[in-house]
Amino acid sequence: MGQFNLPPNSKIEVGKYYKDETNSKNLKKVNVYRWDPSSGQNPRVDTFEVDMDTCGPKVLDILFKIKNEIDPSLTFRRSCAHGVCGSCAMNIDGVNSLACIKSHTDINGDLNVYPLPHLKVVKDLIGDLSTLYKQYESIKPWLQTEQTGKEKEELRQSQKDREKLDGYYECILCACCSTSCPSYWWNGDKYLGPAVLLQAYRWINDSRDGDKKERLKKVADELKLYRCHTIMNCTNSCPKGLNPAKAIGSIKKMLATS
Amino acid sequence: MEEKNNPLSPHLQIYKWQISSLLSITHRIVGVINIFAFTIICFWTLSLLLGAESYQIINNFFKSFFGKFVVVGLCWTFSFHILNELRHLTWDLGYGFDLKVSKVTGVLALIGSFVLTILFYLIGKNFF
Repeated sequence: MGQFNLPPNSKIEVGKYYKDETNSKNLKKVNVYRWDPSSGQNPRVDTFEVDMDTCGPKVLDILFKIKNEIDPSLTFRRSCAHGVCGSCAMNIDGVNSLACIKSHTDINGDLNVYPLPHLKVVKDLIGDLSTLYKQYESIKPWLQTEQTGKEKEELRQSQKDREKLDGYYECILCACCSTSCPSYWWNGDKYLGPAVLLQAYRWINDSRDGDKKERLKKVADELKLYRCHTIMNCTNSCPKGLNPAKAIGSIKKMLATS
Repeated sequence: MEEKNNPLSPHLQIYKWQISSLLSITHRIVGVINIFAFTIICFWTLSLLLGAESYQIINNFFKSFFGKFVVVGLCWTFSFHILNELRHLTWDLGYGFDLKVSKVTGVLALIGSFVLTILFYLIGKNFF
């Protein structure tokens, strides 16, 4: 059973209010979660008034504008800014998404930005994903074959078999899905979570892989797999439009029929 | 992360409810209620064996306003649980994971549960 309340050191306090200094008429209030490890204080939510006339269309543009023009200490991860790397995954307006492809024009009223849910915060909008990476490693996300590497022939895959990986290989491991899952919040140390299970299915489903049975056996676990109760927050939040819930359902079905 | 002092990012407090997550938690709560409901129904049946007097006590309870509320409420919890369980069964068969489809089936299950409740109530009243 999980703890539904935030621990005392995580209770969010009211932060600073940065008033607009540009006299713009097109303002948006942006509430951002802040936590500075050197301050020794509880996390807080700062409110920034941002001039939207001189701001780009995406949430990441807003964050950059705040960092460049209002508060340079604002910390967040980003890299490609095109929805390919998955670095800027965060909770925007209550749903996990990538800041670089989420349009702020889709959001009415104030904009709320928090780190990915139920993670140890490193600083501001950066959550610690090391548990998820360890779990990812545990499913051995690479081809298992009998080949030694000295064969003269490559491992071939028919077009049809390759198509079976569509909707799964596109995953960028941004962790939007896993950190949206209540089941993962309460059992994140044991339950693998949607992102890792989708990856597990991707390798189980790969026609070139020689370890299908072993992979299935390893994932068939009350806690690792069956903590999925088809809540579908994962599919609802995936910024790439993938369907982790379906992948998990497929693994369950494979186990039930094998 | 070695430092234990790092705060936990907010989760339930900030995450927006989706139709799917709302129905999922309702399914759970309703399931627990149904277990208690079965107990009540068992006691009701048992009271038949213990004679008219004990039967009357429970019957009186069901006739009271609160009793009627409980009965109609249970009609709904059973209806909802049955319909939503049908969704779970189709998921187990590998269908209905599509985001749009799951939303539609979810809403249908919710509307259907109210329709069934009214039907149960009318059948109970010998309306047909």
